[in-house]
Amino acid sequence: MRIRDVFAAAAGAAAGNPLRTVLLTLAMAIGVAAVVVLTALGDGARRYVIREFTALGSNLVIVLPGRTATGGVNPGSAVTTTPRDLTIEDARAVTRLQAVLRVAPVAVGTSEISVGGRLRDTLVLGSTAEFLEVRRFTLAQGRFLPVEDWDRGSPVMVVGAKLRTDLFGAEPALGQFVRIGDRRFRVVGVLAASGSGLGMNTDELAIVPVALAQAMFNSNTLFRILIEARNRALLDAAKSQAIEVLKQRHGGEEDVTVITQDAVLATFDRLLGTLTLGVAGIAAISLAVAGILVMNVMLVSVMQRRAEIGLMKALGGSSGTIRRLFLVEAALLSLAGALGGYAIGHAGAWVIRFLYPTLPAYPPDWAVLAALGTALVTGVLFGVMPARRAAALDPVLALARR
Amino acid sequence: MIVRDSVFLALRAITAHRLRSFLTLSGIAVGIAAVILLTSIGEGIHRYVLAEFSQFGTNVIGIAPGKVKVGGGPPSGLPTSVRPLTIEDAMALARVPRVNGVAPTAWGNAEVAAGGRTRRTTIYGVGADATRVFNMSVRIGQFLPPEEPSQARALVVLGPTLKRELFGTENALGAKVRIAGLQFRVIGVLESKGQFIGIDLDDTAFIPAARALELFNRDGLSEIHLSYEEGAEVAPVVAAVTRILAARHGREDFTITTQEEMLRTLSNILDILTMAVGALGSISLLVGSVGIVTIMTIAVAERTNEVGLMVALGSERSTILGLFLGEAVVLAVLGGVTGLAAGLGLAQVLRMVVPALPVQTPVLFAVLAVVASGLIGLAAGVAPALRAARLDPVEALRAE
Repeated sequence: MRIRDVFAAAAGAAAGNPLRTVLLTLAMAIGVAAVVVLTALGDGARRYVIREFTALGSNLVIVLPGRTATGGVNPGSAVTTTPRDLTIEDARAVTRLQAVLRVAPVAVGTSEISVGGRLRDTLVLGSTAEFLEVRRFTLAQGRFLPVEDWDRGSPVMVVGAKLRTDLFGAEPALGQFVRIGDRRFRVVGVLAASGSGLGMNTDELAIVPVALAQAMFNSNTLFRILIEARNRALLDAAKSQAIEVLKQRHGGEEDVTVITQDAVLATFDRLLGTLTLGVAGIAAISLAVAGILVMNVMLVSVMQRRAEIGLMKALGGSSGTIRRLFLVEAALLSLAGALGGYAIGHAGAWVIRFLYPTLPAYPPDWAVLAALGTALVTGVLFGVMPARRAAALDPVLALARR
Repeated sequence: MIVRDSVFLALRAITAHRLRSFLTLSGIAVGIAAVILLTSIGEGIHRYVLAEFSQFGTNVIGIAPGKVKVGGGPPSGLPTSVRPLTIEDAMALARVPRVNGVAPTAWGNAEVAAGGRTRRTTIYGVGADATRVFNMSVRIGQFLPPEEPSQARALVVLGPTLKRELFGTENALGAKVRIAGLQFRVIGVLESKGQFIGIDLDDTAFIPAARALELFNRDGLSEIHLSYEEGAEVAPVVAAVTRILAARHGREDFTITTQEEMLRTLSNILDILTMAVGALGSISLLVGSVGIVTIMTIAVAERTNEVGLMVALGSERSTILGLFLGEAVVLAVLGGVTGLAAGLGLAQVLRMVVPALPVQTPVLFAVLAVVASGLIGLAAGVAPALRAARLDPVEALRAE
């Protein structure tokens, strides 16, 4: 029997019982579609996080006060105080380092902001002119904080897009006076809307000069120092130089934690990668169930086609041919299911992208290949037993029974 | 036809094709087992996390400076320009009825040195009530004594990890340690509390709150924690605390979080997680039910003659319908029970392998699993059974 004939016969057998074929294909398709959609979700989340981080600027080194001997960054060290403050002077010292391009000291606190009787609580961020470039923000209107002495800020502020709408509505914001805590600031710029970044919604920020923020919160310490390295190759150099200079300035005591974008990114990448894998694994259980179904239906099919098989054998068909016939049928059914599931899965991913445009929900290639491969392999594997059973039939007995 | 006969017939039909029936029910069984195992793990994580949180006591209230922001979420520990919470505020709260412990809390990160060894760690400034509020116990020595905040002595109680790192196995009581350059005398070592979601709770040092404020050069506490009597209503306590602090501050510029609320929110989130994981597992169940539809369709086609004969002999169509539906349901429930057993077995194995995770199958879920498998059988059996019931007896008898 030629290959083409084998395929034609198998396809004919599948088409001869359309309802059964459709159900079998559907079962396989559900499994594959589940894997494709779920990995698309997981990988979409991973890509989203990476994109958010890259938007922060990829040459970024972040210094935070405090360090724990246990190592790593834990939630406790996210906001902490140390006996020796991380000061503006420290940030200035970092500026002079060779591997460093720009430095932005950051002080953060919450305060009440009011304008014309309207009052709301908001996050106030104290920084310098460099902050705009280090964080890759863009302005919608006006200008950013002026370049000036870091210790003496002029009473001007830049507001986030949403905060601007909340405070001023449709009126122009530039040039208006706003009260934060007990100080007055003039609005000189409005940030372009950027959507919520990781954790900190930049659209609701009020940015003021760092010296004024420190005065307002009555503290000398910085929340972070953001350092932009000259280029990616100098990232590690910038990190070690920054640690060195801060250690020197703090009496030989290493009381800061310095993290690079890459380290944080790698952690997230690993975490979300594992999650995607786990979810895909759970979905893949359904492929095994579909495999069992394939086996079951093929077994029934062998039973029903006893006479046919007997006739084939009597006419000289070898056991190998019979075996191949049934295996090809199982493989074809699985393949149809896998392709159908692939299409459904992609449609599902498209719907997710349509509903959540910020989430780049594309199934990763490895997952698609794995799903298709697993579907095909389970189909064929579970087809082996029925095929062997068919091949082992005794032609005389098979023909004799009815 | 009586019910017993129907069941008997269904069982006979199932046992007639043993391999086929076994495969069909194993499809359902795998699905149910997956759901049971995954929800068990989810429930285990749920219990684990709640237990982690409850180890601080469930009757605790936290007060933080600053009002809840418009966007939601409590104050984050960032400095604010609002009036700080002071140790005096905390002391005023001790007079609230039913409150049995108040711990003013200020924390920071500093270097602790003793005997030539240093370690950077978290320093908590607290009061004498902290053991009761945070559910801690002292292993050796004593905890910080109750003292006037203005005259708090430089005493420190070490967490076990910190004690081990600094002193090894030697006696630490009475020893001098330097915290950020200031000298403190060790008066106690705490009992180990272990890890809390990856953070070592034993790597800490407790000093009087007033000393901590001095050390970190802060004018306000990070938080005030207070505990109330077991079994007391939380609402009156919160109301009294709010009244006193509002009177002291002139307005309500603080946020109160009760442990109860927090646990409830957390519990909800974890429930959703368990549900989501269970939903993922039930994809397999869906595939398994397609399997039942397929096999029942085949069975109806195979037994066309039989059906024709039964109808010709006077069977009602509803009997035929019931017969095939019964077969599908029995098949699915058998699969469900098998899957339940497998899922429970796997959960037990997991519990042995990972003793830290209290894997637990909720009885409700087990019952639901079996009921769900029955419903799946019913739903999957409807189309094939209807097909059988609608067969024309004459045609059916003549077929093949």
